[in-house]
Amino acid sequence: MSLLPFVLMTSVGAVLALLFRRNERIATAIAVVCLLGAVVTALAIRPGQSVVVGGAGFATTEYLRLFLVLGAIAGLLLAIVGQAVGSRRDVPAVTLGVLATSALALSLPDARLAVLAATASGGFGALVTLVPIGGRGGSTVGTRVLRATVVAGTMAIAATAWIGRDLTDLAAQPVVFGLAYLAFALAVAIRFGAIPAHGWAARLTDTVPESTLPLVTAWAPAAFAVVALAWADSSIAPLLVDLDAVRFVVLAIAVISIVLASVAAFVQEDIEHVVGYAIIGDAGVVLLAIAALDPAAWAPARTWILAFVVARSAFAAWAAATRTAFFTGRVADLRGWAIRRPDLAAVLALVVIASVGVPGLAAFDARAAIVGLAVDGPFAALVLLGTLTPLAYYGRLFLVGLGRPEGRQGGGGAWRPVVAPVDLTDLRGWLARTWSANQAVTAMGGAALLAILALAVSAGAFGTSQAAAGLPPTLDVSTESFVPGEPGPEAPVDSDAPSAPAVDGEASGTPAP
Amino acid sequence: MVALAVVGGAVVVVAARDTRTVLLALAVTLVASPLLADPLATPLGLAARFVGAILAVYLLWVVARERGVVGILPSPTGGSRIGWPAEVLVAGGAAVVGFVAHGLGAPAGGPPLASAATANPAALAVAPVATGRDVMRVGTGLLLLIDAALLVRIALGGTPGDVEQLVTAAMLIVLAGALAALAANARADGTGGYAFSDPGRVRVRREPDAHPLDQA
Repeated sequence: MSLLPFVLMTSVGAVLALLFRRNERIATAIAVVCLLGAVVTALAIRPGQSVVVGGAGFATTEYLRLFLVLGAIAGLLLAIVGQAVGSRRDVPAVTLGVLATSALALSLPDARLAVLAATASGGFGALVTLVPIGGRGGSTVGTRVLRATVVAGTMAIAATAWIGRDLTDLAAQPVVFGLAYLAFALAVAIRFGAIPAHGWAARLTDTVPESTLPLVTAWAPAAFAVVALAWADSSIAPLLVDLDAVRFVVLAIAVISIVLASVAAFVQEDIEHVVGYAIIGDAGVVLLAIAALDPAAWAPARTWILAFVVARSAFAAWAAATRTAFFTGRVADLRGWAIRRPDLAAVLALVVIASVGVPGLAAFDARAAIVGLAVDGPFAALVLLGTLTPLAYYGRLFLVGLGRPEGRQGGGGAWRPVVAPVDLTDLRGWLARTWSANQAVTAMGGAALLAILALAVSAGAFGTSQAAAGLPPTLDVSTESFVPGEPGPEAPVDSDAPSAPAVDGEASGTPAP
Repeated sequence: MVALAVVGGAVVVVAARDTRTVLLALAVTLVASPLLADPLATPLGLAARFVGAILAVYLLWVVARERGVVGILPSPTGGSRIGWPAEVLVAGGAAVVGFVAHGLGAPAGGPPLASAATANPAALAVAPVATGRDVMRVGTGLLLLIDAALLVRIALGGTPGDVEQLVTAAMLIVLAGALAALAANARADGTGGYAFSDPGRVRVRREPDAHPLDQA
């Protein structure tokens, strides 16, 4: 199965990098090489494969491949940016761990197993808080991250266990279905740090560098959210049960997160907190998709998830590059940044277009579709306007950037690479000097690449929309069985749900109930 | 007997202050939990869970052991604020609720004892998870909580398959490994043991309404 090399590369790489963590150079080298390998092995994943092992199975989809490719590239670029601007030593290893567990979560057709893998992903995320000296504060925050992960995982495991059995002799009130749905939806909200469950995410933002934030608060929960969407669409949405009261709760959390996160980002005094709240605000749209409880939201929700995690990675990289260029992250001290560094302004402009979007971009249309499916009537227009509130804090950043600097400030650092003539007698020293002289440029380059990638994903490049419209992992496509006596390859699933263009052998369409 | 081991282990985990005692009890709970399934899991699945549980606790044990030679002294956890008898009562009440609510409205795939045992770690874990002020106490509470969720899975859905047991074991190891790293990091910083850096919400102790007669 083509997924195996990726899982091996990322999981073994994560373990090795963590084992060698006392030697930062070796650990980082191992992790970066494995991240490069992860990009290659993710590209080699073939959609439409499935394998049955001991009654359970793994299946690959085009969406899984795209998620992992983008995750590996974004993780690699964030790791490089982190090395350039200063980050936590475990971040590359944690990235590998998150990728490995996300691969498992997105390839397991059984939601009961997928939530276990997605919960483990959060366990890796807590490790970014570790610091070698004065680690008590980091451990405190890391424990809070772990608490959010485990509480969310517990709720999701219980919800999937309740639904994932024979319910033909159901004696309970239908409201129990609503409680199961609510438990999983709240679990997603907790994992994303949605308001009002944002306390751990806010403390995390206080503690870790901005370049590590998307890993813990966006990429790891994203896989969890995709599992939740698949579960809700297959287990809850087909039920003829009135769940309006429960949906209202999820809807309220989503809308509150979208609006208040933008307000919080607007009033923050440093850019890493702006990044943190921006992620929470975008995650609110994911919660809107879960609140929609409609199979039609499947494709737009998954499109939005991909666009949002890559765009927020780019925003975090921009924040890291800006902090390095101006030696400060305080918004008030960044007056004139856009004039001094037009390249950084261009990167932020790309991030704005990728994250807020314009009509016609896949991400923008996906978000509008989600809002339309989740909310009816005039309130839908208000919520749609609410999703545009990030323009307020972006506008503030640009206004500050165009302002006149107060007093004498640094010029924003060099924006061109500085490369001295190669010293063949001291190649290692030359490399070290060149790296040291170009750290700001490296951070800027990483941010620019991520911004371009984000814009491409937001525009629907790489077949994002088609991949998002594909079925969740299913064992009914070209089954390879390791169990004696199991049936061989079967015909692809014939879904009677609305179909979308087929992608590389993957049956497409919204998931059948 | 197995259910009693799960319940007893959970009570000791939340009530004891000595870290090694807590971890030993946690090991008992994590090892005994998959044995509540009926029918029992296959040997391969059980082996995976046993290895996962033991390795998870061993990672914490490595952090918790005292090393007087290098100046690392025993670090107790917060322990129970209401004492072990109260925790036993909580566990008993939770067991009754779990047993009565078996299946939660539909025929369950697992035994009623699993439901009874499910409620114990869940109820007992609430206090350390919500009010714990040190890494080890919150962390062991979290492991109890996730074990309760796994027991719910057994009680409602029946015996998990081999792959599920394997994924479960891996998840336990990852969570315990992360917890061990966090605990080691806290313990290596100063003399505060596993305590959080911030005291959290300060509890205001209310003064007695009446003064003793001899001071009046």
